Amino acid sequence: MEKILIKIGAALAVMGVLLYSSVFIVVQTQQALVLQFGEIVREIKEPGLKFKLPFVQNVIFFDNRLLDFRAQPAEFISKNRETDVEERVVIDAFVRYRITDPVLFYQAVRTEANLASRLNSIVVSNMRKTLANHSLSDLLSKDRAAIMEQIRLQVNRQATRGDMEDRAEGSVGVETTQRRGQGFGIEILDLRIVRADLPADISQATYERMRKNFTKEAQKFRAEGEERALEIRSKADREKVEILAKAQKESETIRGEGDGEAAGITASAFGRDPSFYDFYRSMQAYRNTLAKEDTTVVMSPDKGFLKQLNQ
Amino acid sequence: MAQSPWGKRPSGNGGGMRPPSGGGGGQPQMDLDALLRKAHERMRGAMGPDGGASEKRIAGMILAALAVLWLISGVYRVNPDELGVVLRFGEYQRTEGPGLNYHFPYPVESVMIPSVTTVNKVEIGGGGAVENPTIRRASAEMSYLPQNHESLMLTSDRNIVDIGFEVQWKIDGTNPQDFLFNVRDPAGSVKAVAESAMREVIGRNKLEDVLTTAQSQIAEDTKAIMQRIFDQYKAGIEVIAVNLSKPDVPDPVLGEFQDVKRAEQDKETAESVAEGYRNDIIPRAKGEAVQMVQAAEAYKNRVVAEAQGDVARFNKIYEQYVNAKDVTRKRMYLETMEAVMKGMPKVIIDESAKGTGVVPVLPLPAVSQPKASE
Repeated sequence: MEKILIKIGAALAVMGVLLYSSVFIVVQTQQALVLQFGEIVREIKEPGLKFKLPFVQNVIFFDNRLLDFRAQPAEFISKNRETDVEERVVIDAFVRYRITDPVLFYQAVRTEANLASRLNSIVVSNMRKTLANHSLSDLLSKDRAAIMEQIRLQVNRQATRGDMEDRAEGSVGVETTQRRGQGFGIEILDLRIVRADLPADISQATYERMRKNFTKEAQKFRAEGEERALEIRSKADREKVEILAKAQKESETIRGEGDGEAAGITASAFGRDPSFYDFYRSMQAYRNTLAKEDTTVVMSPDKGFLKQLNQ
Repeated sequence: MAQSPWGKRPSGNGGGMRPPSGGGGGQPQMDLDALLRKAHERMRGAMGPDGGASEKRIAGMILAALAVLWLISGVYRVNPDELGVVLRFGEYQRTEGPGLNYHFPYPVESVMIPSVTTVNKVEIGGGGAVENPTIRRASAEMSYLPQNHESLMLTSDRNIVDIGFEVQWKIDGTNPQDFLFNVRDPAGSVKAVAESAMREVIGRNKLEDVLTTAQSQIAEDTKAIMQRIFDQYKAGIEVIAVNLSKPDVPDPVLGEFQDVKRAEQDKETAESVAEGYRNDIIPRAKGEAVQMVQAAEAYKNRVVAEAQGDVARFNKIYEQYVNAKDVTRKRMYLETMEAVMKGMPKVIIDESAKGTGVVPVLPLPAVSQPKASE
């Protein structure tokens, strides 16, 4: 009886160990490959509790999520369409990819670190190709999204199908297990250019240009200010002269009218007896002009006023 | 997809140890536990041949207590701002709302409790460029980039603008599992995507617009691009806002830029000074004009009135004159002479006395002098 119990216990312990080494969990964010003596026997893409043969099989896990990869900033030559001069541009980009085929991924690169260097050269070479036809100005425009998509498609084609057209530039010393027409078992879901910048030395030149532009702009503003001021002042001066001239004209006219009217009035009245008017006006004029002290009269008593003296 | 019969989750019949599935998932585990306990009891009994029944009972009670504790360990609380995402053997099972909830204990089920109302903030630019360590780089040499300033961006007219901004985001509460399972390092993604989106938007705008009027549009566009990207990633991220701090030109050109602002002021000042000049002289000129016209009117009225007065006076006198022409004439003459001659120095020379040799020499200056010599 007791021996049976011991046997049962031992059997349970063995079962426990077997269970432990034959059960594994694939988390929601993972996918896995089951390897038997190093050979892939099973691909697991669904999460959950999984089983394998104990001891002879082992499991390697891959991420099932969208993974990030940031390409190394690289310098490109692109032609500036406006000036028709080739210029250097520094671009860095990031890639979002997913491991869609763990088997292929494992065969081609095994780890993300290996993928990174391979992917970097693919991204760089495709950017180089695309930017040969586009300028920095295109990147600084609404076309940027389309250019990024174009590069993404190319990178995706190479990464999934392995069309390594420019292998010489592409793989740098990494062992090439990737065969033509195979790829890395990944899908590039997004490729976005982060910076499309000018290299540091050109940036200095840019600053210099900006400085000059700002200086010019400031000068322009000041000159415009002067211009406006002069315009306003001279218009005002002109307006003033015109106003005064007009007033002058008007007042002279009015004066003339007055004089004319006065002349008309007097002429009509005095015309009745011109000889008397002559006399009358002379008398008035004498009174007004011959002042008392400053006139000395030399008179003859023979005629005129003093004629009565000669009686 | 090579899948052995074992791999299928709801396996047909894998013996007593098949993984739990569906609602009745707890049952096999309980069975296993009971089995173990029973086995333990048997072993106890086997080891101590003369061991009492009480010893067995104590061991059983301990095991039972442990089992209860194990079951209780599945109780968890979800706060009002959180959601409980339950995984069964690593697979997404269900999402629970706030309150006290239960999941089958480890290792069957586990729970992740993300906060879905917390607003997270990511700052880009504006105070020390901090590189996000979570973004993987292929041995990045950053020396290419100008001083690694993440806030310096190129505008469409190839100027460099210094723009710092902050992104506010939260986990999309309707699909928390997207956030948890679809993207590795979603928080780090926010920063990378934000920078990329902002550079794209700035690249479409002119420096002048970025510095002046286009800011809210830029924030809106950036937000829209970011949201579109996260939707495409199914990242479970909701972008709440993109806030721009005031964009500025980079430090090396700040002096010149500020001079432009000053020049703009100067221009306005010059204009307003000139306007002031105009506003000063035009009303004065108008006043002067009115004055001139009024003076002329006054003159006109005066001369007319004077003429009328003269005429009236003349007419009165003429009426008398007509009645007695000679007498009136004589009288007028004498009255005038009287008035004029009175008080006037007079020299009377009798021309009939020529023979006496008086030469009428008039010392003209002397005549007009007496007043001056006084």
